[in-house]
Amino acid sequence: MKQSKSAKVLSYAVVTLLLVLYIVPLLLVFNVSFKSFTEYLLNPIGLVSDIQWNNYKDAWTQGNFSNYFLNSLLYTGVATVLTLIVSLFGAFPVARNYVRWSGLIYLFFLLSQFLPNPMVAQFKLMLAMKQEFGFVGYDTKLGYILLKTSGTGIVFMMFTGYIKSISRELDEAAGMDGCGYSRYLFQIVLPLMKPVIATGVILTAIGIWNDFVGPVMYLPSPANYPITFGLKEFRGQYGNNWPMLACGIMIVSTPLIVLYTFIQKYIVDGALAGAVKA
Amino acid sequence: MYPFGKGISRFVPFLLLLIPLALYVMFYFGPSVMTVIYSFTNITNVPGNGMKFIGLDNYHDVFFSGNSGERVDSIIRTLYFMFIVTVVQNGVALLVAVIINQKLKGDYFFRSVFFLPVVLGVAVVALVWSMMFDPLSGPVNQLYNALFGYKDMFFGSFTHAFRYIIFVQIWMYMGYSMLIFLAGLQSVPKELYEAGYIDGTTKWQSFRHITFSLIAPSFTVNMLLSIIGAMSTFDIILATTDGRFNTRTMAYDVYKETFRGSLEMGLPSALSVVQFLIILVFVIVAVKQMRKREVEY
Repeated sequence: MKQSKSAKVLSYAVVTLLLVLYIVPLLLVFNVSFKSFTEYLLNPIGLVSDIQWNNYKDAWTQGNFSNYFLNSLLYTGVATVLTLIVSLFGAFPVARNYVRWSGLIYLFFLLSQFLPNPMVAQFKLMLAMKQEFGFVGYDTKLGYILLKTSGTGIVFMMFTGYIKSISRELDEAAGMDGCGYSRYLFQIVLPLMKPVIATGVILTAIGIWNDFVGPVMYLPSPANYPITFGLKEFRGQYGNNWPMLACGIMIVSTPLIVLYTFIQKYIVDGALAGAVKA
Repeated sequence: MYPFGKGISRFVPFLLLLIPLALYVMFYFGPSVMTVIYSFTNITNVPGNGMKFIGLDNYHDVFFSGNSGERVDSIIRTLYFMFIVTVVQNGVALLVAVIINQKLKGDYFFRSVFFLPVVLGVAVVALVWSMMFDPLSGPVNQLYNALFGYKDMFFGSFTHAFRYIIFVQIWMYMGYSMLIFLAGLQSVPKELYEAGYIDGTTKWQSFRHITFSLIAPSFTVNMLLSIIGAMSTFDIILATTDGRFNTRTMAYDVYKETFRGSLEMGLPSALSVVQFLIILVFVIVAVKQMRKREVEY
């Protein structure tokens, strides 16, 4: 069908308007991050005249971002890897009917999407774990990682769906050759699942990296802050010193933006796969 | 048939499956069930204190106790939040998806940009908009001033703060809904439009009768996501106003009463259950309505 010219122009106009609404805030933050506080007060919007590279250095050291960054890396890395392995343990036998009541187990995992908010009891559980064992639970790195590791939800659904498309004869051939179950999972199934694993990794990692509420609730000591919570504290420290805070925003978001430009295709497709199949 | 050996090794899949099951039961399913149980007890957060069954007292307290006025306000506010977010977010997302779907140049760039806020996360998004909405030097206030000669307190305004939070929520998640609509639009077969064109349908008719009917599944998913999302979101509130200036929602109240308020755990549990029931009702109604519209072709 042919497009009328005015409709086309109107379409571009709408999208461009929205684009401005999405990009301009980030550009303004970028601009402000180079200003001195006085220059910001005198001229908050105008283009920076005297670039203050030191802002970034100050923000980085005073915000303690290197520590928080490492913490975030630790939580995200470990919990993501564990989530994927654990999801594989759950999804494979359920997809293949290798355990009894596979259908019921699938439903049980599916239920995770519709349960009542577990916040209150989770908090109590974390406190109890801390009291009982000390090294796990409330305000411990291990406790937080365990809480963030879940073999359920979207990754589990995606894995189950994908495994069903892997030929069953492969299992039989491997079994005939004497391959054990766990070896089969890691050496044959895992490599075959590369595309769905890529999406799973990205979705899980974004979720854990960006979690804001979890750290506020479970990680009260500064030694355990991830970067999201570090940014919140940094804000408390600097009030309305926007050039400094803008540096903080840029420090936290630049790695994400760079990473996103490289793997955005997977993220966008992955978000889709996750949402539609959920 | 299980191909990986007999005897003991038959149990390996089950043993490995126990790990995800245990994690799920321990951290999600168990706490969910416990929250429901707690809601009928007088449990506190003081270690070592037992709990006593007190029936529906907590539910009574949610609606009829000292500061229940505030709680009822937040329930109403949550419903308002859900309606606006669901309608506006999906409306804008559908419009953008339809526009982008007509082979606009740079469509991949557009959708990447609109999805960017989800990648950046709540901490960054909230701070970016706090800067944009700064009452003293923020760019938006300068714009308001130049256009209408008017200034606002934004996140510091008792009457407006919540509207700005709704704006930020929609700004953040519009791209997500848009993607889901795009996926739906791309699965509509082109022949249907051609057939319609031959039959002389107008643009609006073909949108109303072909597109709209065939993307019903995406609508269902989007409705579910925005209802559940909006009813349980409070991280944006926590990161912008921290519940001040009349911006508390149910989810925020649950958080507040569990972690910072009294040591009582029964009341926030009851509040969680109420929240869950509201979500359930809306989800069931929405799915029923949507299912009616889904067509086979």
